[in-house]
Amino acid sequence: MSREESRDDGVLAGALADLLREVRERLDAGGAGIGERFSSEELFELFDRLRRVAGTFGMEERSGEVDEFGLDPIVCDRARPLFEFLARRWWRVAVEGLSEIPREGPVLFVANRSGLLPWDGLMLAHTLEGWHPAGERPRFLVADWLVTLPFAQPALARLGGVRACRENAERLLRSGRSVVAFPEGAKGAAKLFADRYRLQRFGRGGVVRLALECGVPLVPVSVVGAEEAHPVLVKVETLARSLGLPFVPVTPTFPWLGPLGALPLPAKWALRFGAPLELDQFGPEGANDEILISRTTEELRHRIQQMVDTDRRARSGVFS
Amino acid sequence: MGQRLYRRLLERRSRRPLVAIDRRRPYGLPRSAHFHSVDLTDPTADGALAEVFEKEGVGAVLHAAFRGEPSAALDYDHELETIGTLHLLNACAAARVRRIVVASTTMVYGPRPDNPNFLTEDHPIRGHADAHNIRNRVEAEGLVADFARRHPDVEVTVLRPCLIMGPTYHDPFVRHFERGTVPIVLGYDPLLQFVHEDDCLHAFEVALLEGRPGVFNLVGRGVVPLTTLLRSAGKRPLPIPAPLLYRLGRVPAEAQTGDPPAAFFDYLRWLFVADGARGWAAFGEPHYTTREAWMSFISSRRMRAYR
Repeated sequence: MSREESRDDGVLAGALADLLREVRERLDAGGAGIGERFSSEELFELFDRLRRVAGTFGMEERSGEVDEFGLDPIVCDRARPLFEFLARRWWRVAVEGLSEIPREGPVLFVANRSGLLPWDGLMLAHTLEGWHPAGERPRFLVADWLVTLPFAQPALARLGGVRACRENAERLLRSGRSVVAFPEGAKGAAKLFADRYRLQRFGRGGVVRLALECGVPLVPVSVVGAEEAHPVLVKVETLARSLGLPFVPVTPTFPWLGPLGALPLPAKWALRFGAPLELDQFGPEGANDEILISRTTEELRHRIQQMVDTDRRARSGVFS
Repeated sequence: MGQRLYRRLLERRSRRPLVAIDRRRPYGLPRSAHFHSVDLTDPTADGALAEVFEKEGVGAVLHAAFRGEPSAALDYDHELETIGTLHLLNACAAARVRRIVVASTTMVYGPRPDNPNFLTEDHPIRGHADAHNIRNRVEAEGLVADFARRHPDVEVTVLRPCLIMGPTYHDPFVRHFERGTVPIVLGYDPLLQFVHEDDCLHAFEVALLEGRPGVFNLVGRGVVPLTTLLRSAGKRPLPIPAPLLYRLGRVPAEAQTGDPPAAFFDYLRWLFVADGARGWAAFGEPHYTTREAWMSFISSRRMRAYR
């Protein structure tokens, strides 16, 4: 049943077009009354097809088949034009270094986090989906507080967002899916505009430990432009506490323009993928070496910071 | 459920008699059952139970003396569920029962926004602060784990089924989903998982007859979002903002269950999906997936409506 529900848009549109063409052809064929143009069997068949088309109308919005982390392929397909628009027209995302990414097996991407809303995760997932030979959409990890927000949780889950925690990331990597992690966490999202592109501490080295344990390559990613999409000027802490958010941002547009202020500014974006970190030599035992982990974590942070700085210097202006 | 399990056990032609213990003889209990009346809330229940166990030569005990329907009698429930478990474990120790199977639920993990997407059996059980029956179950599980540590020679099984669905099973969640219009929390669409009652009974049967010491999640394969479930059953979701739902529902919910509505609706708001790998390895592949268990429940209710 569910598989029938999950029929593609194209099928529905195609069926309707066929039907219309047939009706038109028969009308053109001429004749006096409707009884002469169509035999009763033909009419019945036509009615049956109409009923079938109408019966499935509106059923394909959601597939009903989500994967174990709640990703809904149909919702992803529907949202793709929007992300395509954002990537091409709105943010004009420039992507570099895709050739650096190992082609086989799951990859753990590590990126700098910016902005309250997880646009960076969505854009990375969108970009990498097109890159991956199998078209597999990598999952991006989202902070706890985003998962608790109404409407954000179901929407993000359907688009491939997964709550950031060790168990989830490990399960994803072990099942062969790539993961995008933002180890700065809420600190990264809560940066003020004055501190933009200054990378915060990378948690407690969880990403490196995870990569060592699962034996997956660690690819540093820099995102430039997302900070200006939602420049946070001031944080309101008192209001945040009563709303259960980590902070309430004041941006040039929010809350002044109301919900419209939640729309991101059209800053120019650049995504850069760096060379994977060499971790093979340490093996899974390296996961117990705390010194190694903190050293590698710092190196990773340093590399992403450098990549961010390179791209920032290279751009001529925030919006161009 | 107890009755169906009893009949299944009879079908296995177990040579030993089956003993049922309750406060009153349950309606419909087969005549062949050896029935004993023991009140677990009685301070001397442990002695009485031990007597029964010894007299009947009981080898395996299924402990299912937990509320399926939450009641407003909070103190009584605590006496029955937590202290009752203590009595039962003491009696088992005194009568040297070899095998104990405890019925728990994945609800003991608690619905929380900071749960990982799949809870393994080793995850701490945190329960729900408002749901007193779940709180009791968490305490009872603590007592059972303690008992298992002190008596390594006894095979202790704890089975944690997720929400059970099927033609005959009944609980507040089933009643909630029986409505045509189902209130849900606005803006949340958690992934749910179900286990079919037959798969659940099978696991209990295997645990009782063959013994599978340890803690196991009993879940069907796959997860389905709440709204997709309702849609596939032709039900209308009625999204209500959480603050409104939790305030409006307070009086009726507390009158019925003694718990504020959060104790129920949090389970339809946050994740508490359990990882079933260990249970599947021990009890075999379940016959029903989450979706099939749901469909089995829905189709049985449709039959009833048209009868």
